[in-house]
Amino acid sequence: MNGAIHILRRFVISTILISVFLLILNYVVLGTWFFNGMNVGKTPEDVVRGASEGLHGSSGSYALAERAEKLLVQHNAWAMLIDKQGQVAWGFKLPDELPRAYSLTDVAKLSRHYVMDYPVFIWEHPDGLVVVGYPKDSVAKYQFSFPLDWISSVPLRLVGMIFGNIALALLLSLVIGTLLIKSITPLIDGIHGLAHEQPAHVEPKGLLRSLAKSINHTSALLQEKNAKLKARDEARFNWIAGISHDIRTPLSMVLGYASQLEESETLPDEQRKKAAIIRRQGEKLRSLVSDLHLVSMLEYEMQPVSWKAVRLPVLARQAVSDFLNNHDVGERFSLQLAVEDENIKVNGDERLLQRAIANLLQNSMLHNREGCQILLQIMRSPDKKTCRFTVTDNGKGIPQSELADLLELPYSTKRKSPVQNGHGLGLPMVARIAKAHQGRLILTSDTGKGLRAEIELPVMADS
Amino acid sequence: MDQIKQKKVLIVDDEHEIREMIDSFLRKEGFFRIFHTASCSEAIEVCLSDKPDIAILDVMLPDGDGFSLFSSLRRISDIPVLFLSARNKDEDRILGLGLGADDYIVKPFLPRELMLRLGAILRRVYAPPKQERLPVFALGSFTVDLEGGVVRSASGEQPLTAKEHALLKKLYENRGRIVTSDALCNAVWGDDSFGYENTLMVHIRRIREKIESDPSSPEHLLTVRGLGYKLMASEDRA
Repeated sequence: MNGAIHILRRFVISTILISVFLLILNYVVLGTWFFNGMNVGKTPEDVVRGASEGLHGSSGSYALAERAEKLLVQHNAWAMLIDKQGQVAWGFKLPDELPRAYSLTDVAKLSRHYVMDYPVFIWEHPDGLVVVGYPKDSVAKYQFSFPLDWISSVPLRLVGMIFGNIALALLLSLVIGTLLIKSITPLIDGIHGLAHEQPAHVEPKGLLRSLAKSINHTSALLQEKNAKLKARDEARFNWIAGISHDIRTPLSMVLGYASQLEESETLPDEQRKKAAIIRRQGEKLRSLVSDLHLVSMLEYEMQPVSWKAVRLPVLARQAVSDFLNNHDVGERFSLQLAVEDENIKVNGDERLLQRAIANLLQNSMLHNREGCQILLQIMRSPDKKTCRFTVTDNGKGIPQSELADLLELPYSTKRKSPVQNGHGLGLPMVARIAKAHQGRLILTSDTGKGLRAEIELPVMADS
Repeated sequence: MDQIKQKKVLIVDDEHEIREMIDSFLRKEGFFRIFHTASCSEAIEVCLSDKPDIAILDVMLPDGDGFSLFSSLRRISDIPVLFLSARNKDEDRILGLGLGADDYIVKPFLPRELMLRLGAILRRVYAPPKQERLPVFALGSFTVDLEGGVVRSASGEQPLTAKEHALLKKLYENRGRIVTSDALCNAVWGDDSFGYENTLMVHIRRIREKIESDPSSPEHLLTVRGLGYKLMASEDRA
C-alpha cells in the first residue's frame, strides 16, 4: 500500500508540473505568434502614414514621394486624398467604382470599416484625409470596445485562470491517478507477495489484465516449484530415514548373534575373537546409521530441537568427561579445558551440543593418531552477543584449500576431495548443529599448523 | 533370583528372526516360559489366555502400532512393558515412555543390554522389596563403609559427614570414570547448584584427609583438571 501512495504522489506532482509547463509554453507561443502576426511587414497604419507624409502639394496638384509610392505598390494598395469639402482631390490607382465625393456620414463609416469592401485606413493630411485602400479580402478589420473595469481586471483574471488551471490539473490527475492506483494496487500486492514467496492471486481485469495474468502465473509456478522442492526434500529425508530404519532389524540380529557367539564358552578363543570383530563392526555400522539419520534430519530441518537454557561450561565439562570416559584416549593426547566465563548460557539442545563437542574432539584425535595437545576454550566474543566454543589442536592441520570441503556432506557434488578418515559425517554434523542453533562453525587451519574449530552461538540475554 | 526366571515373557514382533533371537537370549539367561506373537490381535489373545508377566513390544506391527497395542494391553492387564523399536526418534521414545512403558530400547541392540534392562524391570516389579544396602569398598588400606557412614583404617574409624557421604556415593557409583564438578555439586546441593565449586573443593580435601595416606598427592580420589574428579576404586567386595 505504501508503494501505491508513493506512486500516486509522484504521479500528481509530475502531472501538475507538466500542466504548468504546458500552460506557460502556450502563453509564450500564443503571445509570440500574435505579436508577429501584427507585425507582418509594415502595418497598414505605417503605410497610410507614409502615404500621407509623402503626399506634397496644394489645391489640385499633388505629387507622391517615390518612397511612398513604392510602399503602396508593394502592398498592392490604392490611395486618395479627400479634401475638406468631401471631394476626392487626388488619387492613386483609384478603382473606378469608387465614388468621387464623400459625405460626412461616408467618412465616418469609412474611418471604421470598408469602402465598397476595400479595407481602408485613414491618416490626417494638411489638406484633408489620406485614405489608403487595400485589395478586397486581404485585411480583416475589427473594432473592439471593452468596459474599463473589464480591462483593468484582465491581469487578475489571467492569474485566476492560471490557478484555476492548476487546480483543475490537480483534480484531474488525482482522479486519474486514483483510478490507476486502484487498478495497480492488487498488482503491487501480488508482486510483494511473490517476493516473499507467498501465493499471489490478482483478479485479471481492466487495463493491466495481462500483467495480472503474468503475476498469477509466476506465483503458481513459484508455489509449484517450492512444493516440488519440499516434496523432494521430504522424499530424500524419508528415504534415508527408511533405510536407517530397515537396517536396524538385520543389524540387531548381526549384533545379537555375534555377541552371543563372543560370549559363548563352548567356542574356541579364535572364533570368539572373530565374533567380537563382527560385533564391533556391527556397532560401527549402528553408529554410522544413526549419524546418517541425524545429519539428514538436520540437513532437511526435520530435527526437533528441544530448546533449553544451557550453561555452556557445564555442558562442555559433561561432554568432555563423557568422551574421556567412553574412549580410551591414552597418554598421547593431552586435553585442557579453559573457561573464560562460567556464566555463559545458550539456548539449545543439550544432546546435540554435546554431540557437536564430542565430534570435534573425535575429529582432532582421529586425524592425529600419533597424539596432540587439545585445548578447549569457552569465551564470549567481543560484542557479547555471541560466545565461542573452540577446540584447538596442535596436530597436522589441513591445507587451507580443503577447509571448506570439510563441511560438505561426503559424496555430495559440492565435496571435491574424498573422505580420508572416518565416515566424514563428523564435521558436517557439527556445522549443521551449529546452524540449527543460529550459530556457525568456523574452521581455521593450515598444513602443520593444527586445526582450530570454533562453534559460535548466540548467548542468552540474561547470561 | 530364580523366581525371576519363572516369569512368563511375551515377545511381540512381526520379524520371525528377531523373535527367535530374543527367545534364544532369554533361554540362555534361564527363562523358559516364552510366548511369541507377530501381531496386535494375537498379542491380546495371548495376554488373555496365558497371562504373561512382561511384554516386549515392537513399535511397528502389521495390524497397528505398538503404542495402541500398549494402550489395549493396559485395559486388560498391568504387566510391565518394554518397547523394542527400530524408530530412533525422540518423539517415539517420549511417546512410549510417556504412555507408561517401563523401558524403550532402540534397535540394533546388544543382547546383554536387553537382558539387563529386562531383568531390572522384572526385579523392580516382582522381587520382594529388599532393603537396599549401600556398598562397602576398599581404597588401598582404607575401607569405606557407605552403609555405616565411616572410613576404617589401621588407625581407626573416621565418620563421614552427610556431604562427604553423598559425594563418595556419587563418585563410587561412577568409579573409574570422570564425574564433573557440576554433577557432584548437583548430587549434593541439588539442581542449579551454580557457584559451589569452591565449597566442593573444601569437601573434596576433607574426604582426601580421610581416605588418602598422603592427601596432597592423592592416589584414589584424583582431580581431572578443568573437568572434575575420579575415584579409582576396585570392584565391590561387600
